[in-house]
Amino acid sequence: MRCRGKKGVAVQYATALFLILILNFFLPRMMPGDPFLIMSADSENEVISVLTEEQRQYFISYYGLDRPVYEQFASYLFSVARGDLGESIYYKVPVWEAIWTRLPWTALIVLGATLMSTVVGVLLGLFSARRRDRPADKMLMVGLISFAEIPSFLLGLVILLAFSVKLKAFPLAGAITPFAHYSHPLDALWDIGYHAVLPIITLSLTQLTGIYLLTRNTLVTVMTRDYIRTARAKGIGERLVWTRHALRNALLPVVTRVGFMIGMLMGGAVLVENVFSYPGVGSLLRSSVIARDYPLIQGIMLVMAFSILTVNYLVEIVYERLDPRTSSCEAT
Amino acid sequence: MAEAVCGSFCQEKEASFEAAQKSARMAGLRAIKADLNIVSKDIVSKNKETLRDLLAAALNSVCDSIGRFSLAGKMGIAGLLLIVFIAVFAPFVTFYDPSAISGMSLDPPGPEHILGTDELGMDIWSQICYGARMSLVIGLAVAMISGVGGGFLGLMAGYMGGNWDKMLLRTIDITMALPSFPLLIVIAAFLNPSILNVILVLVFLSWAKPARVVRSQALAMKKQQYIISARLHGAGPVYIIRRHIMPEALPLIFVSILNISSYAIVAESGLAFLGLGDPTSKSWGMMLHYATSFRSIYFTPYWQWWLMPPLIALIFLLLCLAFIGRDMERIVDPRLRLRGGQ
Repeated sequence: MRCRGKKGVAVQYATALFLILILNFFLPRMMPGDPFLIMSADSENEVISVLTEEQRQYFISYYGLDRPVYEQFASYLFSVARGDLGESIYYKVPVWEAIWTRLPWTALIVLGATLMSTVVGVLLGLFSARRRDRPADKMLMVGLISFAEIPSFLLGLVILLAFSVKLKAFPLAGAITPFAHYSHPLDALWDIGYHAVLPIITLSLTQLTGIYLLTRNTLVTVMTRDYIRTARAKGIGERLVWTRHALRNALLPVVTRVGFMIGMLMGGAVLVENVFSYPGVGSLLRSSVIARDYPLIQGIMLVMAFSILTVNYLVEIVYERLDPRTSSCEAT
Repeated sequence: MAEAVCGSFCQEKEASFEAAQKSARMAGLRAIKADLNIVSKDIVSKNKETLRDLLAAALNSVCDSIGRFSLAGKMGIAGLLLIVFIAVFAPFVTFYDPSAISGMSLDPPGPEHILGTDELGMDIWSQICYGARMSLVIGLAVAMISGVGGGFLGLMAGYMGGNWDKMLLRTIDITMALPSFPLLIVIAAFLNPSILNVILVLVFLSWAKPARVVRSQALAMKKQQYIISARLHGAGPVYIIRRHIMPEALPLIFVSILNISSYAIVAESGLAFLGLGDPTSKSWGMMLHYATSFRSIYFTPYWQWWLMPPLIALIFLLLCLAFIGRDMERIVDPRLRLRGGQ
């Protein structure tokens, strides 16, 4: 399956990106209706005609809609490449700017969740592998697997209801306390962290299990290898054998998993942000959906798709560097 | 039944025998194509029996695995059956029409409304029952279409090999690289969010995985001794696929059908939660959307009977599907490992 080489991978991701661009270009054109119709309907339809035929033609050529489709598509590609994603109808600012102001919040919870699920997942995996088939291992496994089956936004709702509504231990919404005045920069940091805790926990709970299972299962196989026996025979303590010899080698597949996880977390963040009313790109998406702000929806989609594709591509490249075996033709 | 199965097999064997003789003269894909044509004519005439035969094989493998389910798996099946029951018999287990205003706005649960009413005074229990239909229909339709269709494509490509296989593999790779959720949102935002559109988009985004799994299975099986000897005895590809490869691939397809159905249910409710569902339909995701869009719902007691029921129902359904899927996977897995597949 991985018998593609670097060029193949690049072509694959480039094609995927191109497909998305094509979709983005044609979807608005596939919608029924004509933006000029309402302005130019003739009096027979009992609509006052605002535009004369001449003016209509002028607008059509002004927006470049009289040019052939491939020319329109080419100019669309150029403007996207320049970073021009159009103008938001609702917010009256360039789409790029609207996304840019929200992006740091999404990045915060996505990266926070990546970090947390990786660290906790690896530690739990190590814990579980050392107690393989004992009650603690089995309970942890059943519990975490059940958690993984619940999608992040449903889990987020449960967590929100439990911790913010019922226990009132965490804030219900937002990323900072509104109208707060911080006497110290650390206070601001604390406030941001306090608001980000629940979204980060929610997001990482769904991805934690994958990391946990991967670490645990790789560790279990690694521990049967000869070099582990050698290490033990040399008299190295059990603790060091696990951390230095076993864990280090078991971490390689975890690296890939973490990379691909970022992509999945971005998708999950869209919904989770809405659960917690967190002011990231995801809640921007929801408000643009409600306002039917099509350029903004498209822009968000493009930015998200582009970043997911880039991250996944980089992960594949990095993984090939880390583990040269994957570049050879293996039928997996 | 047994006679019918046997009869169709024998006739098929004859047909594929002729075909195999023909294919000895012709080369490569063209031969396989001719073979396919002959047997497909045969299938058309014996459509009923072959379908029955296929169904019997599928049913056998499913029954076989259910017998080996764990307690959690059996509970999952019981839970799923319960949801299917309330969905099918929704008019009989509810007292009100789900979109009829049957009470006061935001009534708490009581004797008149088992689970209370929402802000428009519609019965929540009715909405749950009728909403189950939406989730089940979407899950089932998407999973069946992409599981069976993708599985079929993978089977053909894996067995035939050559350029078709290469092309399919490329397409699978690209489809799997597409970030599904952003794509889903943008398509749903532009097309009108009818059930059909949602199903089509989800199929487009989820057919690749079963295709890939089944393809690698078919590829691995093609090299097995007994398949080779069957081929040398003059069995045509359609016969081999149906008789030997299909029974082995069916459990795999079944597992991916389960996985895809929960993916589709999550995707549909996620879209609805974002406000991209069909506003005229009753679904659990739409209930979540309306409840969470209600201003300051968390400061009122309303969330207890408005937000909780669809939330619990969705989680319950997904857990049931997950339990069943995990048991299926466990049962299918040893065979998988034997073949050296993924």
